Amino acid sequence: MKKTLNAIFILFFALIIFYGCEDRSDLVAPPDLTPVSGDANLSKYVAIGNSLTAGYQSSALYQSAQQYSYPNLIAQQVGLTSFAQPLISDPGIGGQIKIVSLEPFVTKYEQSSGTPINLSYPALYGNLGIPGAVLYDVMNATNSTDCGQALSGGGSNPFFDIVLRNSTLNLGSQFKQAKILHPTFITLWIGNNDVLGFATSGGAKPTAPTPSATFAYLFSQLADSLASTGAKVVVANIPSVTAIPFFTTVGPGFGLQLKALSVPAFYYQSGQYVPTIGTPDQLINKTILLTLISQTYLADFGKPSGRFYRDKGIPPAAVGADTTQPLGSQGNPIPNALVLDAAEINIAAQSTNDFNSTISAVASAKGWGLVNINSIFNAIRVNDATGGTDFGGISFKTTFVTGGLFSLDGVHPTAQGQAILANEFLKVINSKFGASYPLIDVGTIPGSLGLAKSLANKVVLPDYNYSMLKNLCF
Amino acid sequence: MKYLIVTLLLVLSLASASVYAGGFQLNEHGAKAMAMGGAYTAVANDPSAIYWNGAGLTALSGTHIMVGASLIMPNTTFRGVSPSITNYDMEKQAFTPPHIFVSHSIDKDWAVGLGFTVPFGLGTRWGDDWIGKYLAIETELMTFTVMPTVAYRINDYISISGSFVYSFANVLITRKSPQTPFAGDAFIHLEGNDNSAFGYNFGLMVKPIEKVSVGVSFHSQIDYTFEGTAVSTGAQQLIDAKRLPNDDVKAELTTPFNLAFGIAVDVTDQLKISADYQRVGWSSYDSLKVDFNDPAFTDLASPREYEDSYIIRLGASYKYNNTYSFMGGIYYDNNPVSPDFVNPSLPDANRLGFSFGLEAKLTEKIGIQASYLFIRSEELTVTNSRENYVPGISLIFFQLAFYIVYKNFKG
Repeated sequence: MKKTLNAIFILFFALIIFYGCEDRSDLVAPPDLTPVSGDANLSKYVAIGNSLTAGYQSSALYQSAQQYSYPNLIAQQVGLTSFAQPLISDPGIGGQIKIVSLEPFVTKYEQSSGTPINLSYPALYGNLGIPGAVLYDVMNATNSTDCGQALSGGGSNPFFDIVLRNSTLNLGSQFKQAKILHPTFITLWIGNNDVLGFATSGGAKPTAPTPSATFAYLFSQLADSLASTGAKVVVANIPSVTAIPFFTTVGPGFGLQLKALSVPAFYYQSGQYVPTIGTPDQLINKTILLTLISQTYLADFGKPSGRFYRDKGIPPAAVGADTTQPLGSQGNPIPNALVLDAAEINIAAQSTNDFNSTISAVASAKGWGLVNINSIFNAIRVNDATGGTDFGGISFKTTFVTGGLFSLDGVHPTAQGQAILANEFLKVINSKFGASYPLIDVGTIPGSLGLAKSLANKVVLPDYNYSMLKNLCF
Repeated sequence: MKYLIVTLLLVLSLASASVYAGGFQLNEHGAKAMAMGGAYTAVANDPSAIYWNGAGLTALSGTHIMVGASLIMPNTTFRGVSPSITNYDMEKQAFTPPHIFVSHSIDKDWAVGLGFTVPFGLGTRWGDDWIGKYLAIETELMTFTVMPTVAYRINDYISISGSFVYSFANVLITRKSPQTPFAGDAFIHLEGNDNSAFGYNFGLMVKPIEKVSVGVSFHSQIDYTFEGTAVSTGAQQLIDAKRLPNDDVKAELTTPFNLAFGIAVDVTDQLKISADYQRVGWSSYDSLKVDFNDPAFTDLASPREYEDSYIIRLGASYKYNNTYSFMGGIYYDNNPVSPDFVNPSLPDANRLGFSFGLEAKLTEKIGIQASYLFIRSEELTVTNSRENYVPGISLIFFQLAFYIVYKNFKG
């Protein structure tokens, strides 16, 4: 009995020693999670679009923002190892806006520029998004001076040369270069600038969006051309341009300020420089919108001021303004370029609707996937009042700075906003083509609103200044 | 005349690696208790009884002094976040929680004792840029207790004890914080201490029949209020706008109660076996709150959602001869937290402990004890983490632990 017990105890003891000394530091690898591509073949993926596709942020195109462009995020998520972008070193080209102070809110723009990093990349870029591109440009523009912006008097656009490199390659437009790549998959998001340019200039330049019939013609022509490549296509439509922070930030706050000062009304230039009366309530209710740029000039409201005309190089007399009179009076109304009034809002909304009808009709005729960015964006906006919309555990709103979706120019998405866009494309790829690509974890994408590190040798401007956004391309 | 034995215990510790008991409890209070898998509530026959079961003091004669420290080196590996399978190893660190027990038998019925030990502690450090950097980089917690104890033998069968517990503690938490929507990361450093927290212990030892003893031990929960400072480094704009905390802080923490039932049986003159069931009131750790003095800062509160848990322990000791004894033990420590809430500052999982030890009397009054504890944690796969690695993500933990305590006592 005693011997048996002793033997059992010794065995127990030996087993514990044996088990306790075993090294178990290896961690079992999880099972392979290779996603299914379904009918979609993203091995040769090309993205066509404008600044949104290029990954433009805070009024500039720069590498640390480009790496989070939705096409690049999609390429990473589906496992592409060679998706080239026309990278530009930080702080980029365009004049990147950075925050100098949060309270009070002061920003500045980088006066220094970055330079293209891979102009000599020995193949065409997979991301053919060009800041400033309009629909016309996709098939037709080949350089900085034959693009829509230059042809309509907006000046040359250097991004066409950086992306298309036709001075050395001579391979033609965005579409032609895409075709040369023999794409198996194309994402197309174009047309925003056909209405946005009209809106962000306060209806001043250009004076009207691209006519809807022209848009429909150009879009179906582009669609037929893309179909000829044999690639699967996913197209995105155009979000409501007047709901972005560029338009929704300044007006309501200024309206409340006027009300507090018992200012019953003010004058602004409507249409072609006609002094028109507006009320604080119209600003609060967003039936008159003020651009982000107007913030700087409204500091002079009620005082004689010609700062806007000086900054912009316009003789005030040419637009019927007398700058010796107080800004906001009948003689010196708030300049046209800073205001989008009810009529202009309607024009922008009508064009957006027409363009989106065209896009959705073409998408269904061609069997393309459609990313309804407009409705997704509107759904996020509806939730603004009730605490925001959750993506990856983070709450987003469409508000300026605090909303997290829009970068400091009030138009272009943040890096996280780009990830949300990429996920919407991936969802459509998954549902339309039976694929099972995992969505991007938005929380792993870092914040991207730039904070100015040092104030040395930098021009510091209070609030927004026109010159800060003069290069704003969409 | 009073019969007096003075016993001095000097404890040296060696270890290779270890991790803690469930949550951040440390159950290492004496090599012999540890060697028996902690199934010691009904054994408690050395001065560490002050911790395990004060009622055991009535069986000790004379005066004993026991001084010691253990070396603990935790080791945890993290793989993820899915679909990534990158391996991250917790940085190697060494901790030396000390313990001192002094007991004195007044007469055959009364005994007193004074104990000093570290019942709760935690130390984890990950790399500055590891994937979970926003949850935890370095976390350190130590609670120290001083326990004056009185034990009374009611009759030949029943002894009881009570302890007053004075405790002091310190805590350190560092992690990064995203500055979203702004670019870059901030680094947050919280440090605090509490110099006066109080609790109590009760013990009961019953010897209903010869060769069998039954023990019950209760350790109360202890409420700590840490006071200290938060220091953040990050973008100056966010510091100026009080978006990053730089302020005096207060944080509350309640350590759980412990209620243990044990039984020990002398199977032969040489072999003693014991078993314990220990209830741990981990539901006290329901959230971790940090309050800032300045109302401009948003107070922090993160749910921990721990639940009451249990540990089952089995142990044995074998007296080979008058000089040598061997001990062995095994225990199962149930994970007190749902995997959804597992946080890398405190990587919890179900744990199995395996221990063995040796006791050798060198002279009448000097002896050596050595024990080794290996704690094996279950590999844990976490899906739908509630921690902000971000939802829909799989995490995998594996933990590994070794523990050696080397004891040397004199008497």
